[in-house]
Amino acid sequence: MTKQGYHGPLEKIDDFCWRIPKQYKAGMKVEGRIFADDRLVEQIRGDQAPEQVANVAFLPGIQIASLAMPDIHWGYGFCIGGVCATDPEEGGVISPGGVGYDINCGVRLVRSNLRREDVEPRLTQLVEALFRRIPAGVGTGGPYLFDNKQLKQILAAGSQYLEAQGLATPGDIEHTEAGGRLPEADPEKVSQRALQRGSDQCGTLGSGNHFLEVQVVDQVCDEEAARVMGLEEGRVCVMIHSGSRGLGYQVCDDALRAYRNLPARYGISLPDRQLACAPLESPEGQDYLGAMRAAANFAWANRQLLMWQARETFAEFFGRSWESLQMGLIYDVAHNIAKIEQHVIEGKPKTVCVHRKGATRAFPPGHPEVPAQFRSIGQPVIIPGDMGRSSWVLVGRPGSMERSFGTTCHGAGRVMSRTAAVQDAKGRRIDRELAAQGIIARARSWKGLAEEQPAAYKDVSLVVEVVHQAGLASKVARLRPLGVVKG
Amino acid sequence: MYEVFEHTADVGIRIRAGDLKGLFEEAARGLFAILVANLEAVRPVQETRFRLEGERQDDLLFDWLAELLFVFDTQRLVFATFQVELHPRGLTAVARGEPIDLARHQLNAEVKAITYHGLKLQRDGEGWVAEVIVDL
Repeated sequence: MTKQGYHGPLEKIDDFCWRIPKQYKAGMKVEGRIFADDRLVEQIRGDQAPEQVANVAFLPGIQIASLAMPDIHWGYGFCIGGVCATDPEEGGVISPGGVGYDINCGVRLVRSNLRREDVEPRLTQLVEALFRRIPAGVGTGGPYLFDNKQLKQILAAGSQYLEAQGLATPGDIEHTEAGGRLPEADPEKVSQRALQRGSDQCGTLGSGNHFLEVQVVDQVCDEEAARVMGLEEGRVCVMIHSGSRGLGYQVCDDALRAYRNLPARYGISLPDRQLACAPLESPEGQDYLGAMRAAANFAWANRQLLMWQARETFAEFFGRSWESLQMGLIYDVAHNIAKIEQHVIEGKPKTVCVHRKGATRAFPPGHPEVPAQFRSIGQPVIIPGDMGRSSWVLVGRPGSMERSFGTTCHGAGRVMSRTAAVQDAKGRRIDRELAAQGIIARARSWKGLAEEQPAAYKDVSLVVEVVHQAGLASKVARLRPLGVVKG
Repeated sequence: MYEVFEHTADVGIRIRAGDLKGLFEEAARGLFAILVANLEAVRPVQETRFRLEGERQDDLLFDWLAELLFVFDTQRLVFATFQVELHPRGLTAVARGEPIDLARHQLNAEVKAITYHGLKLQRDGEGWVAEVIVDL
């Protein structure tokens, strides 16, 4: 099970896009396309992710190409950074591996009117206050407990359920992808097991690469877009990266179990068992779609509650309300999800199922799903970086609709396994190394920090540069971490 | 015996045993060794019984580990010893352990899911070998 490279074809289409020809493997219905530059493409050859891009091209109903973003790396079935669109009218399928285990893992960015100099003198205390307040880490539950009935309401209505409880504002709803609620979610298709795993986890951060960060805007690339978002250099923000916790994992697990022998029954032949799928229009396809939407709603509720707890912590710490600190939500995006969307394909509008696994929606200016406030600039895209380095805010460009079903990258992508990262970190105090850079990190376990050390990741700025140059999304601002809370 | 091996973002368990029963028991120990750093501190004082159905042995191994993970996650129990009986259509098992006590048990990694990737269970000479990747 050691890392093997990819030795198949990668043909340059242009400086930022590479092709895996359809002829590479018999069974590919379309070609593969990977967005990358010359530098990244060498790294990309380092694992089997391009092979996975070729495998996804086998899926029935797949449109145009099997795509991958520049933060591509190996995943289960689909690579991370994988994108495809399937047309139900052509027998198009839905594949749980094309969404990922952590359904609606995503990220939100909260602004404030605080400046760096307001926060830095007491940064350690602020991070410790957040660390005490935000539930994080292995096997931790949180303070918000929901019974089965309430959980089902969260599954049905996501953030909008919380609005009714006074835990979300109309502005929060408007600034969340899908308003924090996918309609036609089917809570009844979420198993009792998944409900049990989720019951005390709504409003908890999780572990691994999930985090809550206090950040500062350290570079503005697009003055107008930044102004519209309420961002300027030196402003303090909070970024939250988390997903659907144990509930989402269980929904994926349940679907993969249900789909074990299904493809054969529908006459679908796959090169990898983990691409297990069902036609969208089949009962099994609809069951997973309904359950996935429910789990996505849970994740939005989760990030909403995490934000609420962060707002309350800031309010207590600074002695004024979060509203007077102007801690408004800029935007929340999903990066592990399947959405039914309209796209123009070969000149015709089609309704397709877009799978985004470690990839973010990036709708352009004018798109009706972009909140009114941002319609002139495009949909905000939040790209979390790794702990020691930057995160980015972008906006969607027309190029995304033309080239990638309205999609862009999601983050940096791992280059070092967790074990290797921990090995590399032995004898080192990652928290002290970060502190030397002015970053205060608190994690529930040493391992949590070691696994996530900066060297374990690609440089997100390189990834962002590619999507910017490829016309998928353009750079608005760069954010630097000041404080990090992890599980 | 089991060993833990490295795999990109996650971790794998490779198990070798003389017979299938032993393989399933060792696989369970391997899973809990990833979850708890000091497995030797877990006292086998509480019993939990399992019954699983399945005919494909690799899927059954998967289901066995997934079931153990579910019990760990929802009932907050850790297990130290396992007794597995395999039948033509599934397995029954007894696992012995105790509720998680953060004062004595060092929780190690959060295993979020058992994956199908590279799932292997096959004869190896006189015995058996299996490999499972878990998602951290």
